[in-house]
Amino acid sequence: MIEGARRTATEDGGGDRADAVAGFLRGMREGIENGLGPLTAARRAAGGLPESFRDALDRTAERMRGDYAEDEWGFDPEFADAVTPAFEFLHDVWWRVKSSGLDNVPAQGRAMLVANHAGSLFPFDASMMTAAIRLHHPAPRWPRFMVLNWAFALPFLSSFMRRVGGVPANPDNATRLLQQDELVMVFPEGVKGTGKPFSERYRLQRFGRGGFVEVALRTRSPIVPVAVVGSEEIYPKLADSPSLARLVGAPFVPITPTFPWLGPVGLIPLPSRWRIEFCEPIDLSEHPPEAADDSQLVFDLSEQVRELIQSKLYENLVLRGSAFL
Amino acid sequence: MAGRRIVVTGISSHWAGELARRLERDPRVELVAGIDTDPPAAELERTEFIEADIRSPVLSRLLPALEPDTVVHCGFLWYPAPGKPDRALHEINVIGVLQLLAACEKTPSLTGVVVRGSAAIYGSEGAAPFFFTEDMARRYPLKTRFQRDVGELERYFDNFARRRPAVSCCMLRYQPEIGPDIDTPLVGYLSLSLVPTQLGFDPRLQFVHSSDATGALEAAVRNPVRGAVNVAPSGAVSLSRILRMAGKPTLPIPHPLFGPALTQLGRQLRMGGTYNDGVRLLRFGRGVDNRRLREDIGYEPEFDAVGAVRDFVDKSKGRRLVGVPGPRTLADAVARRS
Repeated sequence: MIEGARRTATEDGGGDRADAVAGFLRGMREGIENGLGPLTAARRAAGGLPESFRDALDRTAERMRGDYAEDEWGFDPEFADAVTPAFEFLHDVWWRVKSSGLDNVPAQGRAMLVANHAGSLFPFDASMMTAAIRLHHPAPRWPRFMVLNWAFALPFLSSFMRRVGGVPANPDNATRLLQQDELVMVFPEGVKGTGKPFSERYRLQRFGRGGFVEVALRTRSPIVPVAVVGSEEIYPKLADSPSLARLVGAPFVPITPTFPWLGPVGLIPLPSRWRIEFCEPIDLSEHPPEAADDSQLVFDLSEQVRELIQSKLYENLVLRGSAFL
Repeated sequence: MAGRRIVVTGISSHWAGELARRLERDPRVELVAGIDTDPPAAELERTEFIEADIRSPVLSRLLPALEPDTVVHCGFLWYPAPGKPDRALHEINVIGVLQLLAACEKTPSLTGVVVRGSAAIYGSEGAAPFFFTEDMARRYPLKTRFQRDVGELERYFDNFARRRPAVSCCMLRYQPEIGPDIDTPLVGYLSLSLVPTQLGFDPRLQFVHSSDATGALEAAVRNPVRGAVNVAPSGAVSLSRILRMAGKPTLPIPHPLFGPALTQLGRQLRMGGTYNDGVRLLRFGRGVDNRRLREDIGYEPEFDAVGAVRDFVDKSKGRRLVGVPGPRTLADAVARRS
C-alpha cells in the first residue's frame, strides 16, 4: 500500500521533471537558433525551471566566466562546498565519527589545531576534523591544513588540496595564515606518523623539531590539541615497499591487506569507528613573541602538547571500544 | 631631486622606454640617457639615445662621462627572442651586468643603482611557501638557465653593493607582466585561441600590470631603498580562473609533453628557443609578498592579481588574437623543414 503510493509520487515527480527538462531544451534550441550564445540561451530558457535549477545554472555560468571567489591561497569556498557531501558521507555513515569538545575551537580569530597523524595510504584526519567543525561547531568556519610537501608537486592532488584549503607544510605558510586570523591544522608528526606500521598504532612519534610551537609563539596563537582515534585502522600498514617508493619518488609506499593486491578497490578505506576530541586550548599569550628563540621552552611546550594528545588518545580508545563494530 | 641625471640601459625595451617617458616629463630631472644596441621603441622627446653594447668595455669610458647619479639596469632579458637564443641571452644577461657594474665602479658621481631583476630567483616549486619574502631567495636549487642567470646577476650585484656601501643598490624582483600593450611570450600564451595547459596542474600566478610595472620602477628611482624588493600585485590568481575570465577553451596535455608543445608554438609566441622557465611557472606557479614595495618604496599597485588579468582581458577584446596553427600552417612548417 505504502509502496504503491510512493511509486506514484516518484512517477508524478519524474514526469514533471521530464517536462521541465524537455521545455528547457526546447527553449535553449530556440534561443541558439535566434543567435544567442549557449550560456545566454540556457539562462533565458531556464525561466520555466524550478528555482534550484535556475540557481545552479546561474552559478555554473558565473564559474565559467571566472566570476567566483578564490583567496590568495587558492582556496575556493564554492568548490569546497561542492565536495562536502562526499566527506559528510564518510563522516556520518562510513566512519561514524563522534566528536567532542568542539567548543574549544574558537569561533573567530587565529588558532592552531595540533593533531596526531595517521592513515598510511591517504590520511583523512584533516578532512574529518574539517567535517566535524563544519557540521557540529556552533559557528562553522573553514580550517586550513598543512599538507605533506610531496603531495603538492603531484598533478590533480595538488590543485584539489589547494582548492579545499590545503597549503604545503612549512613555517612560512603557517605564519602567514595565522597572521590573517585563520584556523590552521598542523600535524607535527608528519610522514613519521602516517608511515608507522600498524603494530605501533596510536603511539605518537616525535613531534618534528617543535617548529609548530615556534610559529604559535611568534604569532601569539593558542594551540588546540586534537586527538583523533580511528584513522589508524583505515589502511593498516603491514609492510612497505622501498623500491616502489623510490620508483615513484614517494616518502613510502604502504602494503595493506588490500593495497596494492586489489588494485583500485584497495584504495577504499576500511570502515573503522572514529572519535575526535578537541582539547582545551593552551594559551601562549603569557610568552612574548621572542620566546620562540628559546629552544628549551619550545621543546617543553612541544612535549607538553604531545603528552596531552597521547593521553587523550588512550582515553578515547577505551571509550570507542571495538574498532569496527 | 633637483638636477638628477639618470642613465637607463636596455632603452629599446618596453619598460625602459616607458620609464624614460615618465622621467623626461619631470623638469627636475636634468638628463635621461638611454643605452642600447637598438633604438628605443617608444617615442621619446629629450632622452639621449646612446648606441652602445653594455657587453663592451667601452662602457667604462662612456658612463663616467655622463656623470649620472642613478643607473637603471633594464637590459636584463627575460625571454629568448628569434634573434636571441638561450646562449646569447646568457651572454647579454651575465656579461652585460659584469661590464655595467665595472663601469659603475669607475663612476664617482653615482649614488644609486636600480636593477629590473626577476622573482625567478625563488624558483617555481610545488611545495614552496605560497608567498616568498625577500629573505627567502635561493631556498631551492636554481633549475632553469634563466633562473641561474638571475642567480648570477644577483650575486654580482650583491658583491657590488658590498664593495660600494655609499651607493644605494636596489634589486627589483619582478613577477611576469601582463597588459594589452606588451608583447611577451606569456601574454602571447594567454592570447592563444586554444590554450594548452598541463593536465592536473593549476598554478597560482601573479601578473604585474604593465602600468604598475613602470610605476614601481619609477618609484624605486625616485625613492631609493637598499636591497631586494619584490614587485608583484597583492593576492594571487589560478591559471584556470585566468583562462575562464578570458573565455578561453583549454587543452590539458600531460605535463611531459607541455614543453615540446610550447616550443612548437614558439614562433607564434614570438620566442626563440625553449622557454623552460615558463614551463615550470605554468606547472607550479609562484607567489611573492609585496609588503616591501608598498611600505618601503611606498608604491601601492593600482591593480591586484585579479584586477590586472581582468584589465588585460577587457582591453585586449578588440585585438586580433593569435590562433592555433591550422593544418595548413603545420603542413607548411613540415615542408619547410624537410
